[in-house]
Amino acid sequence: MNVEEALRDAMAAQVAGVQAPPSLGQAVRRRNRRHVVRFRTTGAALLTAAVAVTVPVVLTGGPGTAPAVGGGQGTGAAGQGAPVASASATGSGDTVAVPANLVPDMVGKSVEEGGAVLKEAGYTVRVTKVVSDRDPAGTVVGQTPAPGTSAPPGAAVTLIVAATAAPTPDTTAGTESPGMPQDLGDLGDGRTLGGVHVGYLPEGLEWGKWSGKDGFGTRSYTTSWVEPGLEPGMYSVQMVVYRKDAAKQFAKRLQGFAAQGAKPVEAGGRKAYLVSLSEGGDQVNDGGTRTIAWTLAPGVGVEVMMSPDYVAKLGGAAADRELKKIAAEVALAK
Amino acid sequence: MTEEDEAAFDEFLAARSTALLRTAILVCGASATDAEDMVQSALEKVYRHWPRIRHDNPEAYARRVVVNGAISRARRRRVLQEITFAQPPETPVESPDLGLRDVLVTELRKLPARMRAVLVLRYWEDLSEAETAALLGCSVGTVKSQAARGLARVRARMENLEGASA
Repeated sequence: MNVEEALRDAMAAQVAGVQAPPSLGQAVRRRNRRHVVRFRTTGAALLTAAVAVTVPVVLTGGPGTAPAVGGGQGTGAAGQGAPVASASATGSGDTVAVPANLVPDMVGKSVEEGGAVLKEAGYTVRVTKVVSDRDPAGTVVGQTPAPGTSAPPGAAVTLIVAATAAPTPDTTAGTESPGMPQDLGDLGDGRTLGGVHVGYLPEGLEWGKWSGKDGFGTRSYTTSWVEPGLEPGMYSVQMVVYRKDAAKQFAKRLQGFAAQGAKPVEAGGRKAYLVSLSEGGDQVNDGGTRTIAWTLAPGVGVEVMMSPDYVAKLGGAAADRELKKIAAEVALAK
Repeated sequence: MTEEDEAAFDEFLAARSTALLRTAILVCGASATDAEDMVQSALEKVYRHWPRIRHDNPEAYARRVVVNGAISRARRRRVLQEITFAQPPETPVESPDLGLRDVLVTELRKLPARMRAVLVLRYWEDLSEAETAALLGCSVGTVKSQAARGLARVRARMENLEGASA
């Protein structure tokens, strides 16, 4: 056997039993999310507070008069010509005690159209915006209650509407990446936001030229710094400043870290938690995002996270040193 | 990233991930667990650019990311390797009943990362010299010389073993 064949054979034997696990795709996507800047807390996904638009509904009778048949019940409901799928549930039989319509499916429609149809149908319309790069801004991407479920007239229907995070980037700032929110406008060197100044950043990082407000609770501010050339939407270091209500939630999360056994470290004379956090940001987890979090002053919480790529580049120990150094030099802005 | 992109990425994983993982294990000489972590990280990079690269030979792109990731990971562990390497290759075979395959794999692990990558790409992935050179970003001449030196080392070990068992 010549050496090439022997080698081939040995290599084949070494990896013969190896199979990629079926969970790989999930793991890759989870990892991807750790590299992408966060605009908001996961789960809640609320950029703007829900806006309630109450429409006075004229009902022909109270619930007691039900079941109203067909058009009677639908006075406010099925507007002429409106593509309402809300076939009156009550029309079908007299066993239904409460008038209820089937909530029409508005997913894929524009928020204006969806809102109008729902109002016509007698619902209270709420709008919740989510940042989405998949759907055109203003498109309904989801709704609760789900289409086809029944809800009585006057019930609130929440439309989840796609929003492009950023206003159209203006021509003077060509480096801004489209799709990134600019809630706080031009921050100059990007080191002061939410009343907090970042005194130190690892060498070579520059401002990511975006900022988000209230994505992590009411009165929270966030931005990131990147290595030049990093693709849009990725971060090297991201910071979130929590104030007011968001600071209260943040304080609970800090207590949660302690409860999970995280030991505080000292950064700039303050007690901070240097932990690896799961996607939601509240579980301490070995494979998570390296994060340092602390209370800067009463009612002011700060969290700084480092992307896994940047951690790998610096090396784990050096990354932790940098995080502590950043934390030590964060101060209330004058 | 559209639904269709996501579905295509899943298809790509189903078809290619095992091969990528195997290559990673061979190139970085690491355990399956370590290599899996590395492949995950490489595939995350592929996923990031997926909409752009999916129509343009994503397999070659993924392989390049995996191999380069494996090389740099192997380099990080180099200090350890050099200690192993410092032993003269003429030392008697560790154990007489150690199979030829194990000996070759051990020898492969002792090679410098890039040389090992050349051997894996040439004799495991069956890439041509030109393809290997393109993937590693070096000249065909470098691929030739690295392959020759790597093979010579493995051959010496093989002959040594044959001599010992004869």
